[in-house]
Amino acid sequence: MNAIKLTWEDKAVNAAAVLISLVLLVVAAYPLYYVLINSLNDGADAASGHIYFYPRKFSLENYSMVFKQSYLITGLGMSVARTIVGTAAAVLVTAMAAYALTKEKLRFKKLYLAMAIITMYFSGGLIPLYFVLNELHLLNNFLVYVLPSLFTFFHCLLFMAFFRELPKELYESAYIDGANDLYIFFKIVIPLSMPVVATISLFVGVNHWNDYFVPSFFISRESLQTLPVILIRLLSLSEAQQQIQQYLGNHQSKVTMESLRYATLFVSILPITLLYPLVQRFFVKGMLVGSIKA
Amino acid sequence: MHPRKIKTSRGWDNQLILQLMLLPALLTLLIFSYLPMFGIVIAFKDYNVLDGLFGGAWVGFDHFREMFGDERFHSALRNTLAMSSIKLVVTFLAPVLFALILNELPLARFKKWTQTLTTLPHFLSYVIIATLTMIFLDPKGIVNGLLQSLGLTNGPIEFLAEPGHFWTLGASLDLWQETGWGAIIYLAAITGINTEIYEAAKVDGAGRLRTIWHINLPAIRSAIMVLLILNIGSLIYGGSNFNQSYLLGNVFNRDTSYVLGYYTLDNGLLQMRYAFATAVDLFQSCISLVLLLAANWTAKKINGSNIF
Repeated sequence: MNAIKLTWEDKAVNAAAVLISLVLLVVAAYPLYYVLINSLNDGADAASGHIYFYPRKFSLENYSMVFKQSYLITGLGMSVARTIVGTAAAVLVTAMAAYALTKEKLRFKKLYLAMAIITMYFSGGLIPLYFVLNELHLLNNFLVYVLPSLFTFFHCLLFMAFFRELPKELYESAYIDGANDLYIFFKIVIPLSMPVVATISLFVGVNHWNDYFVPSFFISRESLQTLPVILIRLLSLSEAQQQIQQYLGNHQSKVTMESLRYATLFVSILPITLLYPLVQRFFVKGMLVGSIKA
Repeated sequence: MHPRKIKTSRGWDNQLILQLMLLPALLTLLIFSYLPMFGIVIAFKDYNVLDGLFGGAWVGFDHFREMFGDERFHSALRNTLAMSSIKLVVTFLAPVLFALILNELPLARFKKWTQTLTTLPHFLSYVIIATLTMIFLDPKGIVNGLLQSLGLTNGPIEFLAEPGHFWTLGASLDLWQETGWGAIIYLAAITGINTEIYEAAKVDGAGRLRTIWHINLPAIRSAIMVLLILNIGSLIYGGSNFNQSYLLGNVFNRDTSYVLGYYTLDNGLLQMRYAFATAVDLFQSCISLVLLLAANWTAKKINGSNIF
């Protein structure tokens, strides 16, 4: 172990880096941990405060209450539905377009690219979009979650950068065997592009899961509301108080609306916390390719 | 069989397939990006529901005149520019420093954990961030408790009810959410540095700090410039401004929390003054377009290449 001798400068830099990182680590992660321990604590007990390191009176009742609230279940189900459908559709549409746009022989390629680039600089704005959605009967329609976000040019650029890196011989031998582009895309390109597919799926999926704007302003039907909208209602305590009284009635429970809020918060944080570390290794690579191209 | 004929007909088939692969994306752009652009005409019209989009009398720049005369517009414009500028200054160097620090971490495992956990906030919904903010910054919350027990303040600080704190709060939340994420791109650039350079520096007797200053920092200089310019381009839409204004704004901090995005929403979807709100949006789009083009032009001058 004495192959590399550390100088005092090395030691000082190491110590400083570790110390600063530890502080930042705690600042970044503690709020989420705080939500977790409070959601796992008995509600009435938590009301006296001072739960900082671990649950004082462990209880899963908050979670069982979350899954007993029909409005929370509906919101959760709708969030899951829009995330899965919206992500699958958007990744497919964007990847297919990106594949076509990397082909030299594609007609009108320059026109298409110019059209896409313009949307990065300029948009019609909120109200005209609202009118279009209204005309197409997309307001108060599940499809408003899916259709407008089917294509994002930035994600298309990341796909294009990745597809261009794939060896050309793959296509050429497939062409000679008589395969068409659709076949090549699904059977050869997509299976080889899992890092970028995973990366873009995460980006798109997170946008769907987190979005509160579309359900707040383009949806008024209660059955189509998603989890973030319900969290907004729980955001303001006085409103939440009314909500909870309405739902709990006179039922005696140790769940307070604050503890219910912690549990709901954690339910909405959990999927990303679980998925993100799995996808992370892919997107560092994917982003690198994208950033070199950009 | 005539080989050439087969080739051309197959060529057309393939062209058709490629066009069909592009079609869904093209339709999405046409319907949800280009169709709304025609709707901008109502910014110059006296819109009402009965006449529809293309009926109604032309009113020229009346809506814009009204906008510039509206005190709340002035307040929203000022808050937008102030918040965006503060965020630009405060948040653009933090990821650079963080990437340099991460790169010096001695334990690979600890480095990976730090990176994963500090990037996580980037993926949280703003609804969650707003809720966490309210919980932590409550007068009886954990931050105030900490400040008081350390003797830094006498009474609790009303972070959300005091208008003087809102801009600082907005910038701090951006720091919390985006520093880890922003560091990824710089860290990738540092990791890409040829190891021979480090060995040469070591032979020349350079210590860790001099290596950081003379090798790591220059390696990410162009990335810093590009990102800085991109951020200037998006000054007026300013990423988190609307989220913070909409979710953390309240009657107490309204003087400093009200931004243009909220002003558009207020007039448009809540008060249903469609034409007026479209004019506000158009104004915002134009300013942002000018900023983007200016930023791109500057990047070209400095780097000799386009960002886009």
